[in-house]
Amino acid sequence: MAFELVVNGTSHTVDADPQTPLLWVIREHVGLTGTKFSCGIGQCGACTVHVDGRAVRSCSVPAQTAAGKKVVTIEGVSPDGSHPIQAAWKEFDAPQCGYCQSGMIMSALALLRERPTPSDADIDSQITNICRCGTYHRVRQAIHLAADLMKRTAGRA
Amino acid sequence: MSEPAGVNRREFLATVAAAQGAFVLGFWVPSRADAQTIPNAVWYENPTTPEINAWIVIAPDDMVTIRIAQTELGQGVWTSNAMMVCEELQCDWTKVRPQYASANRDAREQAPEWTLKVPGKGAGDPNGGGEPTFGNRDRTGVSGIPDSLYRRMRTNAASSVKDGRYYLQLAGAEARERLLLAAAALWNVPVTELTAKNSVITHASSGRTTSYGQIAHRAAETPHPHPETITIKPPDQWTLMGTEQKNLDIPLKVTGQTVYGIDVRLPGMKWAAVKACPVYGGDVKSYDFDAIRTMPGVRSVVQFPIPDPALTRGRVFSGGVAVIADSWYQAKTALDRMPIEWKIPPELAAFNTANMRATLLAAIEQPGRVRVNQGDVDAGFARAAKIVEATYSTPYLPRARMEPGNATVLVTNDRVDIWIGDQSPQETRFSAAKITGIPEQNVHLHLCHLGGGFGRNGNGPQAEHAIMIANANRGVPIHMLWTREQDFIGTTYRAMGVARLKAGLDADGWPIALEVRTGMQGDGFGPEASFDVTSRYYVPNYRFSSHVTTFHVPVGTRRGVGQAAHEFYRESFIDELAHAAGKDPYRYRRELLARTSLPYKDDLLTALDMVAEMSSWGSPLPRGKARAIALEERGAEGSGLATISAMVHTVSVSREGKVKLERVDVAHETGFGLVNPLSVKKQIEGQITWFYNDAMHQASTIADGHIVENNFNAFPISRMSEDPPEINIRFFPTRHWLLGMGHDRATSVQSGIGDAIFQITGKRYRDLPYGKHDLRWS
Repeated sequence: MAFELVVNGTSHTVDADPQTPLLWVIREHVGLTGTKFSCGIGQCGACTVHVDGRAVRSCSVPAQTAAGKKVVTIEGVSPDGSHPIQAAWKEFDAPQCGYCQSGMIMSALALLRERPTPSDADIDSQITNICRCGTYHRVRQAIHLAADLMKRTAGRA
Repeated sequence: MSEPAGVNRREFLATVAAAQGAFVLGFWVPSRADAQTIPNAVWYENPTTPEINAWIVIAPDDMVTIRIAQTELGQGVWTSNAMMVCEELQCDWTKVRPQYASANRDAREQAPEWTLKVPGKGAGDPNGGGEPTFGNRDRTGVSGIPDSLYRRMRTNAASSVKDGRYYLQLAGAEARERLLLAAAALWNVPVTELTAKNSVITHASSGRTTSYGQIAHRAAETPHPHPETITIKPPDQWTLMGTEQKNLDIPLKVTGQTVYGIDVRLPGMKWAAVKACPVYGGDVKSYDFDAIRTMPGVRSVVQFPIPDPALTRGRVFSGGVAVIADSWYQAKTALDRMPIEWKIPPELAAFNTANMRATLLAAIEQPGRVRVNQGDVDAGFARAAKIVEATYSTPYLPRARMEPGNATVLVTNDRVDIWIGDQSPQETRFSAAKITGIPEQNVHLHLCHLGGGFGRNGNGPQAEHAIMIANANRGVPIHMLWTREQDFIGTTYRAMGVARLKAGLDADGWPIALEVRTGMQGDGFGPEASFDVTSRYYVPNYRFSSHVTTFHVPVGTRRGVGQAAHEFYRESFIDELAHAAGKDPYRYRRELLARTSLPYKDDLLTALDMVAEMSSWGSPLPRGKARAIALEERGAEGSGLATISAMVHTVSVSREGKVKLERVDVAHETGFGLVNPLSVKKQIEGQITWFYNDAMHQASTIADGHIVENNFNAFPISRMSEDPPEINIRFFPTRHWLLGMGHDRATSVQSGIGDAIFQITGKRYRDLPYGKHDLRWS
């Protein structure tokens, strides 16, 4: 059964079982592979995308529930890696293997939009993605820097 | 029903050609001699301009492609290998593009003669190539470095810098010299009058310059008359090596564009989902494909046997079944509904954690293999004023990398193509040849970055599964992807271990006798991984024996071998002895090190002293908070390669029993030089998290012969909230080359948290993880 899905501002007609998890529709039907599969049960957050601005673990959400909503993946954060959060990640050389980082960035971006100046406690409670390489220390620093950069960017705009 | 799964090679190539014309995002063309490559893929491509040597291609615009024969799995090798080449080549670091080396060419070409001999005088010679671990030659690349083109293509044993540095530096130097020779010939001037810097060659007296890109085609045809005379720069001449360089793969990793194995898409590709028997050594008894045959997208089914142990270093995994469908989620959904019966040998189903642990404990009561026997241990115990005895244990532990096992394989009648993130492509090439009967020279690996690694063979038979499935579907590219649950079956485990340590202390509390017995599974490296306590801490009478058992769980490397468990035993016990002696654990360690005659004694003492000072050791802490110190080293028993550090862990335990690693201070040696200190810091930070998880959370248990914890709900991994708020790393120089950074750093988180718990709660726990214990206090 076909349904419409808007991903990163582009509308796609998806011919898939509507119960297919959003993750697999994004990866296999829309063809965007930056969003990752790891646990399949909503534990690790490698599959995190935004649905109407909220961070969602896309492996555990039927794609149809996102129909008519705005889905944003890592590919939609910026066309060229220039978003302040990506600049902050690069500044701290945060990723190691990088596999979890798409989801980590999407979770952090949702947090920063909700709380532009997150405390460490906010980060601890809101960023629950798993990173097996142990990049948490640099990710935390990068989130704080991203908060500063995003405010400066907003100030210029 | 849909059409048969098969498309033949001609149809496949026709599809490739069509795809080139209609290129869309996420729809990729395979890298083959006859096919276009895809954006952001980093696997080997045939060069469009002549290469200088097998590691270096320079394009007319000065862009330098550097071939990387190790795999980037987060450790930074993509950058550090390139730095080692660039340092000598003297090319512009901003115009460097790493690319994976070709495992296929490696099967067909011999290594240049100048890469075969390690220059210099070993671990203590700053001018030389150090002391590669895998110095012996081995064609398969398992036990040594082959003489084939790229030498060692494995990524393991924390050895990428240690083993590859000399020939990567030589590769850069050889190319630089030939660029200079080509310019000298062109200008008809002596080569000694030329200098090379930042991809520009200058003849100072005439003012002439040329760029690497302009001269590269001539250099490619200019052999070096005496490559054996080329030398490598010692650390005091490094200008790029030794500086903190951001990793070259980061920009793609923050935009989701990195190509991991799981991201490979090919025209006509089908997906395979797999279930292997959950009990190792088990196989498929029966399955009912008819029950799912008509489900959406389903194409076919493949049963595969237990992978040939000769291809998996002797480890016995299990047989299984794969469902092939148009999409992976269709394949997985159908497979979940397909009835499967397993054939499980009853003696294997009888294993569980309790009886395996009992077997290990019984084994250490029996005579074992005596590894070290110094002085008279029994006489030492007889005159001891106090006896301290403790039994420690560590559970089975998997790697649990983030990217589940996967590989995309196309087998035709004369060729195998494999797209994979792989820590040992030479072994995978060998497996492909054995399984398909197609010679290694016709096996092509298209290497991808890995979503975590932590030990190649540890990551099990992902390649072998995929090759067997694709071999049964020749002509169709098959992308096999394990579920998370399968990844926990497909992996090897660090062996469960036990250790009994018994010390006799003299009246002043110093050890005069020590007996150590370790028990681990026989092929788990555990008992054979060094646990020679006396060489680090002085004890005059010492006996160490290992006690081997046999279980069915395949065990192997996991960010090291047995050392992490052994350092937990050793450092925990030294803490216990210090407390029993009523002495400060830092001073106690210091004195026992000072009494030795170890070649690197001063470095060990420097590490301890520096970290004690960094952590304000001895200054008061509030109730509920404690510090613990530990030594970490590899190789410090000898005078060869070593890696030495010390850490202090500041830990709090709330009255409700909540543990927080508050702060970690690290004093770490640099050896003669670190290639990329930024990557080293990241490795240390990451391993603090790794061993924090080992200490607090992680254990794999066995029930009815199978691993119980098979996803992240049952196998916990820490999140941001448990990361230590403060990590301080300070380096100090030493006079030897390092043994490696990729594993066995931060093992002391295990003993450190344990001793802090003891100091705060009065409770001493000796079996990991601590999180399963009642840590409350009042």
